[in-house]
Amino acid sequence: MAATADFKKSVEDALGKPKLSEALHLFGDAYLIARENAFRGLDFDQLRTELAAIKDDVRERRKELLAQFIANAEAAGSKVFVAKDTREANEYVVHLAKQKNAGLIAKSKSMVSEEAHLNKALEAAGIRAAETDLGEWIVQLAGQRPSHLVMPAIHMFKEEVAELFSKEIGEPLEADIRTLVDAARKQLRKDYFDADIGLTGANFLVADTGGIGLVTNEGNARLCATLPKVHVVFAGIHKLVRSMEDAIKITRLLPRNATGQLLTSYVTWIRGAVPTPGNDKEQHIVLIDGGREALYESPVCRDALRCIQCGACANVCPVYQTVGGHVFGSIYISAIGIILTAFYEGLDRAKEITRACIGCRSCTAVCPANIDLEEIILHLRQQVTKEYGMGLVKNITFKAVMRNRALFHNMVKAASKLQKPVTQQKEGQPATRVIRHLPMHFMDKDLTQWRDLPAVAPRSFRDLFAGIDQKVDNPRYRVGFFVGCGADFVYPEAGISLVKVLNHLGVEVVFPNSQNCCGIPALYAGDTETGVELAKQNVKAFYEADVDYVLCVCPTCTMGVKRDFVERLVDDPVWSQRAISLSEKTMDAVAFLENVLKASDLLKATSAARITYHDSCHLKRGNDVWKEPRALLRATGYQLEEMKNSDRCCGFGGTYSFLSHPQISRQIAGDKVESIKVTGVKTVAMDCPGCMIMVGGSMGKADPTVRCAHTMELLAEAIVEKPQGQTPGEKQF
Amino acid sequence: MAEKHLVHSFTEAAGRVGAAVVPCTTLQDAVAYVARTAVGHTLIPQTALAAEFQLRSLLGGAGVDVCSVSFREAGQLPGAGVTFCNFAMADTGTVVLDSTSEDVRLATTIPEVHFVILDPAKILTDNLAAAAPMNTLYAGSEPRFVAYITGPSRTADIERVLTIGCHGPRELHILLVPDVSDDLMEI
Repeated sequence: MAATADFKKSVEDALGKPKLSEALHLFGDAYLIARENAFRGLDFDQLRTELAAIKDDVRERRKELLAQFIANAEAAGSKVFVAKDTREANEYVVHLAKQKNAGLIAKSKSMVSEEAHLNKALEAAGIRAAETDLGEWIVQLAGQRPSHLVMPAIHMFKEEVAELFSKEIGEPLEADIRTLVDAARKQLRKDYFDADIGLTGANFLVADTGGIGLVTNEGNARLCATLPKVHVVFAGIHKLVRSMEDAIKITRLLPRNATGQLLTSYVTWIRGAVPTPGNDKEQHIVLIDGGREALYESPVCRDALRCIQCGACANVCPVYQTVGGHVFGSIYISAIGIILTAFYEGLDRAKEITRACIGCRSCTAVCPANIDLEEIILHLRQQVTKEYGMGLVKNITFKAVMRNRALFHNMVKAASKLQKPVTQQKEGQPATRVIRHLPMHFMDKDLTQWRDLPAVAPRSFRDLFAGIDQKVDNPRYRVGFFVGCGADFVYPEAGISLVKVLNHLGVEVVFPNSQNCCGIPALYAGDTETGVELAKQNVKAFYEADVDYVLCVCPTCTMGVKRDFVERLVDDPVWSQRAISLSEKTMDAVAFLENVLKASDLLKATSAARITYHDSCHLKRGNDVWKEPRALLRATGYQLEEMKNSDRCCGFGGTYSFLSHPQISRQIAGDKVESIKVTGVKTVAMDCPGCMIMVGGSMGKADPTVRCAHTMELLAEAIVEKPQGQTPGEKQF
Repeated sequence: MAEKHLVHSFTEAAGRVGAAVVPCTTLQDAVAYVARTAVGHTLIPQTALAAEFQLRSLLGGAGVDVCSVSFREAGQLPGAGVTFCNFAMADTGTVVLDSTSEDVRLATTIPEVHFVILDPAKILTDNLAAAAPMNTLYAGSEPRFVAYITGPSRTADIERVLTIGCHGPRELHILLVPDVSDDLMEI
């Protein structure tokens, strides 16, 4: 479904301010380097598996651990209040403040206080809340909300900050960062001394000590906890850990993954009401559910509560980098924000951002708690579709057309004829036919103003395959080819090339004609019913073909066959078994060539062309395949020149780039075009027909002399025909 | 030698986050360093080690302006704080201070500059090795405030530009003094 007018407007507004996107791109690039340095010598996957196990155990034992935490905290003199929602939590603090006759509360960073709109509640009761975290203070003065979990004011520039500070302090300040930080230091220092209450969040609630842990850089949380007579801890119940040791383990991951620091300047462990000279210190701990218990109870989404709030999912997100956290988020932003918004604020508040995820899985790859964010978001999108529908175009396409293979394929054939008036030969590449402009000018902004659209091929792969004479004596393997819609109807040359390469290596290809779309486009739109139907059609087709392996030239299809078919058919014992056996023998064609056939030892270096390689999201992060195409291309002689951020999404995302958010796609594709241009290389290899549509289309407008090719095409071109009578496997290729 | 290796890693890690690590031969060297470097009112909490080594009189004798009133009366931005520490972690360049006494908290949070005296014998490999002494500190049910300090206060909240000295001390000087104490519970 296309975005609502309001959301679309907020996207357009954000796109109209390129300065923010530029800043977020610079930050994203610097972050990746800092993070890599911070994890040097450590095994990230092992650490995050361990963290996930800690958090899962906490989830299961949360009632017992919460009781243990409360008992230990109370033994040390803390007063603990469990609030079922943020309203109750606010009331507790307001009541306490009135009791203490407090006029000023000095606050350090607490995201749950943002979630609770605590400052508003305090203000309504006549109590001033002073945010002391520099970023939070900036956002507070601007009357905004944070646009990043760790860096709340990342969307602001020093000139804007100078204006805000000058107004607040009452003297003109230069837009110089050092000057501004010094001014904040001086101004806020008064607040710590004047405040009656200091309020902090908590990164950890340590059950076996009854203490909290705070991970900070500026030193304001320590001041808030120390100077005022009353210390209030305002925290979500999911911050619970079993022990000091758990918390320490998390401190090894959190700063490294958040900012690339080995450790933040301060990690502060506080248990109880620590003594003051008058010995009248109080500590109140407000523990907030606010939808967390419901999230713990959701089998599909509960992993989200493993989150340690490092913000990395935003740092690497191409959508976040394009439109920022105020558009792509609510209180919590980016990937984790989508999920938390759905549970803490309601599905209605989350529906737009749920559809704004492009599905590139870069968040999942960097998540320190091993949360499959993309999968949870996908599930939420299905919920959104159930509640709010997916829009007419997707409805007809998926439900009425794609489920009926014959109708779908006939419609594609008809389209290949109907498009003739608008297709052109691609400049410099007469063999390629593209659509450069659509006559429907009202849609042109979204569709062809900035990219060529690929034309439907005059003959589909399935038609062409029938004419191929496979000369393979004593084949080493018989493999089934799951072609996928992109390679079938738009880029049949990818499939033809695959057959050529496989035959050359002594492998015979079987093509079951009754195969259909993998169903991922429908599933990504939230249409599970169509997904189940398509899974059955395909499992049946390949079950009957009885082949050694099943190969795909589209990694999204690979994920569909390997992961989704199994999940979709899990409830039916017979179908489920067939889906699992199909899943086990399915892989990307490049993975088969390299890992099963060891083709880079067999192929000869015959080409010397300079190329660059674009990693498709689903190939690298969905199937963990990225070394293989490089090895194969190098083995055949190609000179590989890496582009910057080769594994950053190209902006395709299936229907995302056509229906949901074409304008966001346009920006993301623009980044990819720039990276390619910088290499100066004229051929870009990739292993996904979706990426070929996007990268090929955008490059087509930016520089039509650059060719986008499937790895299979380049391999096929490099192969010198095998002389007759030789046996494969003897290094004679 | 294991300890030498730890001192080296600690010094490197602390240096990378902007702390100054100063090897001293004796406590007198450290006192002289503080006297040369500290400016203004200096908060010296009377912890066990400070009392044992008579840190206040040593520094006062060396010309440091030792704060003699309640630290809360020492002004909102006093010049310096001088403390010992419980232990340190080599991999991150962190010093760990049991700050349950409010004077330790104030001396390490509000001054412009913080000096920490660390016996190299107290340097642990990493924060996993710190779990045991941390558990000892948190045994029982007394209120407890323990601070890990890694370099000076910092922020990157304006345009992601790293800026030192936001709310905590602008400078952290770690003075390595042998033969002070190897007891991780002692500060």
